[in-house]
Amino acid sequence: MRDFLDLNWIGLYNVAKVMRVYGTRQSIWEVGVLSMNFRRSVILTLAATACLLLTSSVGFASLGGTVKLGWIGSLTGDQAVWGQCELNTVKMLAEEINAAGGLLGAKIQVIGYDTRGDAMEAVNAVRRLTSQDKVVTIIGPNTSGHAIPISSVLEEMKVPDIATVATNPKVTVVDGKVKPFNFRVCFIDPYQGAVAAGYAYDVLKFRKAAVLYDVADDYSQGLTEFFISTFTQKGGQIVAKEAFKFGDSDFRPQLSKIKAANPEVIFMPYFFKEVALSANQARELGIKATLMGGDGWPSEVLIEMAADAVNGSYVVNHLDFDDPDVADFKARYTKKYGLAVELNGFLAHDAFLVFVDAVKRANSFNPVAIRDAIETTKIKGITGNINIDKNTHNPEGKDAAIIKIVNGNYVFQQKYSPK
Amino acid sequence: MAQLIQQLINGVSIGSVYALMAVGYSLVYSIMNFSNFAHGGVIMVGSYLGFYLLKAAKLPFPTALAGAALGAALLAVIVERIAYRPLRTRSAPFLYFIISAMGASMFIENFVVATIGPTFKTYPAVFSRMPFEIGPLYVGRIDVLIFVTAAVCLIGLVYFIDRTKLGKAVQATSFNQRAASLMGVNTGLVVTLVFAIGGLLAGVAGVLFGMKYTVYPQMGGITIKSFIAAVFGGLGSLPGAVIGSLLLGVIETMVSGYFSSNYRDLISFTLLIAVLVFRPIGLMGKVTEEKA
Amino acid sequence: MNWFYIKGILILCGINLTAVLGLSLLTGFTGLFSFGHAGFMAVGGYAAVWAGLRMGLPFPVALLAGGLVAGIVSLPIGRLTLNLKGDYFCIATLGFGEAIRLVLDNVQTFGGARGWAGIPVTTTLFNVTLAAALGTFVMVRLVHSRHGRNMIAIREEELAARTVGINALKYKMMSLFISAVYAGVAGGLQAYYLGFLQPKMFSMTRSTELTIMVIFGGIGSISGTVLGSILLTALPELLRAFALWRLVVYGASVIFIMISRPEGLMGGKEISIAWFRRLLRPVGVGGAGGSGGAGGAGAGGRGVRQ
Repeated sequence: MRDFLDLNWIGLYNVAKVMRVYGTRQSIWEVGVLSMNFRRSVILTLAATACLLLTSSVGFASLGGTVKLGWIGSLTGDQAVWGQCELNTVKMLAEEINAAGGLLGAKIQVIGYDTRGDAMEAVNAVRRLTSQDKVVTIIGPNTSGHAIPISSVLEEMKVPDIATVATNPKVTVVDGKVKPFNFRVCFIDPYQGAVAAGYAYDVLKFRKAAVLYDVADDYSQGLTEFFISTFTQKGGQIVAKEAFKFGDSDFRPQLSKIKAANPEVIFMPYFFKEVALSANQARELGIKATLMGGDGWPSEVLIEMAADAVNGSYVVNHLDFDDPDVADFKARYTKKYGLAVELNGFLAHDAFLVFVDAVKRANSFNPVAIRDAIETTKIKGITGNINIDKNTHNPEGKDAAIIKIVNGNYVFQQKYSPK
Repeated sequence: MAQLIQQLINGVSIGSVYALMAVGYSLVYSIMNFSNFAHGGVIMVGSYLGFYLLKAAKLPFPTALAGAALGAALLAVIVERIAYRPLRTRSAPFLYFIISAMGASMFIENFVVATIGPTFKTYPAVFSRMPFEIGPLYVGRIDVLIFVTAAVCLIGLVYFIDRTKLGKAVQATSFNQRAASLMGVNTGLVVTLVFAIGGLLAGVAGVLFGMKYTVYPQMGGITIKSFIAAVFGGLGSLPGAVIGSLLLGVIETMVSGYFSSNYRDLISFTLLIAVLVFRPIGLMGKVTEEKA
Repeated sequence: MNWFYIKGILILCGINLTAVLGLSLLTGFTGLFSFGHAGFMAVGGYAAVWAGLRMGLPFPVALLAGGLVAGIVSLPIGRLTLNLKGDYFCIATLGFGEAIRLVLDNVQTFGGARGWAGIPVTTTLFNVTLAAALGTFVMVRLVHSRHGRNMIAIREEELAARTVGINALKYKMMSLFISAVYAGVAGGLQAYYLGFLQPKMFSMTRSTELTIMVIFGGIGSISGTVLGSILLTALPELLRAFALWRLVVYGASVIFIMISRPEGLMGGKEISIAWFRRLLRPVGVGGAGGSGGAGGAGAGGRGVRQ
């Protein structure tokens, strides 16, 4: 570090010297640094900055017994709550391991960068993590729209990534080919859509369903498509399929149309703010049908805003909140941060477990060796068993948890996977 | 048939929200001749104020509403003082006003994100959520309140501008600022007054919107619809803004209800273009050729 | 710092610069304000990928095709709104930006809201630099030509410009068309850099950021545009901790620039070879007035609004 600072100062000094000589050819000694005019100082500053940028130091993968783990996700913008929870989780788990002696004797250092909800930023952050920070693995991001474009960088730098809640199939497989360095710990949209449809048809015995979805959201479109295909395959009937656009807060035109179609269940695959608004409006219009949703639902805010409207609704979730392992993690997290765990935290937890397990089995901090080890992961996480499939890089055969909202509580019903 | 009437009710209720927002925006437009794109930010702040006055200060609803409206009016006046007045005094080109307005709107929105946070807040229940039931039809209580408020605001404003002395001064200023000031009108004060009224309306709109839906930093974004509605009705015309808003609400609802909810906003945009083709001055607009 | 990382930022600078150059012509030189420029980027991006992947055109041709499609899309909007007061154009671009995203969200052949994945990563630092440099060159030639001066005249005083026989509508449309082409090409570059397209990428925030780059750089200055877009793309990378307050500071700065120094960073001046020469001359000589034909934007004091 010291060398690097010295180097830069020498560089700066050289630039200054050159500028002085070049800029004041006529009489070097008459015009000193003090009388330099503004423009020249601008040029000088620019040159010095360039110098600084070019000669900065290079990081190391494991220096003095530390290993670097990267994380990306949204720390600003409307997804900030979830991103912050993921980063907190990863940091907490790393500290716990470090306190217990570290990973293969090395301390884990977590480096997290904000994607600002922007795909370009996600790519930048991954470039920085893989090249400058030299992390051995990256955890995150929490949206498919960011997990897909980073894959070319991962492949170029040969560093694996374990996505937390990026549920689009194309995160790991595009055009039938698996992306070598992309993994995930969550189930994918087709699966979640099929679970919801299967449960609605087979267990709850509904035959007429309506769907309201966010046309401007990838997750919502994905779930909608696979819910409809599974539900109709089983013999059910989709009586209405209505869309809204992210940012809308009035859903009554769509709901009135849905009401006229008289469904038994309304599938609402979007996030809890819109769920709360649309559920309230549905009840205000006198719609009595059961509501169903995906993993965008679970939140205390939903209960606060619409406890009555969502009473008796079913939610497809990644885990059972009351499971003892889950409860233990929740308690640790709340003790440390004084906050409730958001859904993303549980998946970040399991992504971290996958990383630790892979490093141990590879017995190495080499990113490629870690990648190879992740491909054969078979562990028990708090969101279920995580058996990574070599051909899809998804956790296969992961059960979904069905949760029912009863009087403002999320009550676990059963583990369920569609037949 | 019941569904058609229900959809009409839905449309009018959405349109009333647009109208409430469009009135303040249109008022400033008709006087200042520029689009105050910071209006959405002022609405949002008014909504947050109302939320905190109700929830944290536990004030009764009318007091909280008045407080939020006054706060929003103050903010609108501050925005005018800082972002627009320096431009106005040196008669800067139109472009600078718009850019300044964009800056103000960005500042307000992101300041709230940075200080209060990006998550949304829920208003405590002031009115019952249970709607009035008329046969098979459902009319929300807040919807009625919003519709009535929008109507009262419009009538009050029209009365104020057409019938009061101060209103005449406002009109004179809008017509020709320099001549008005020569006739003894304190134009600086008039502009402040116009922004204050615009801000009051924004505050009321914010609180009602927050009660009906929820409060979040990006809620100002819905004013896009109000801007489009104002063009429908004719930029600069107050009744035009209200009628345009109601129309836009009904059209959107009908498109969602009977055509395709996927393409709703595309259709309102196409309609906007169509209005510009056939009647560029809007339904009730005054002449809007660029006078430069 | 690592070269691989810097390269990424430079590519981003190049993409942004290409888009901002076009916007600079529209806003900085012609005085029109667009809220929907990201919409043109979206059109260009999708069209370029369509041309490259589905029609098999080579990369440069696909980029140009994207730009052209974006330009053509801009024409009807311009024709309808540019002879009205500026507000109409603003609101129409606002509506356009939103509408185009909605269309792309719905069209499943492009992947809908879930996006178009599997685009080959073709954009490199080399071809971005080439595109940006070429774009800058063309833009400098344009604003220094008769057409460029006509556009500046319209920005300064449309009525006067018309009086001396400038066809204002024609020049405004020309400006819009060219800026849309630039945005389209930038959209194509972005698509082929990320290897992924999603309507979400082209939100109004993206449009606003582009506009801010123009304003920081300075209204009516190409060198300002270049500096502004490079600085504002690289700075947030260097100051990552500052992310939460970034947009707050941008908003305040925009107001401050408008009320105190609307000419922005470069003040309507241009950096040219002559400028450099003066810069390096001994103290006390250089510095009087702007060089280059596009200078003299000191619009602050004049211009009558009605």
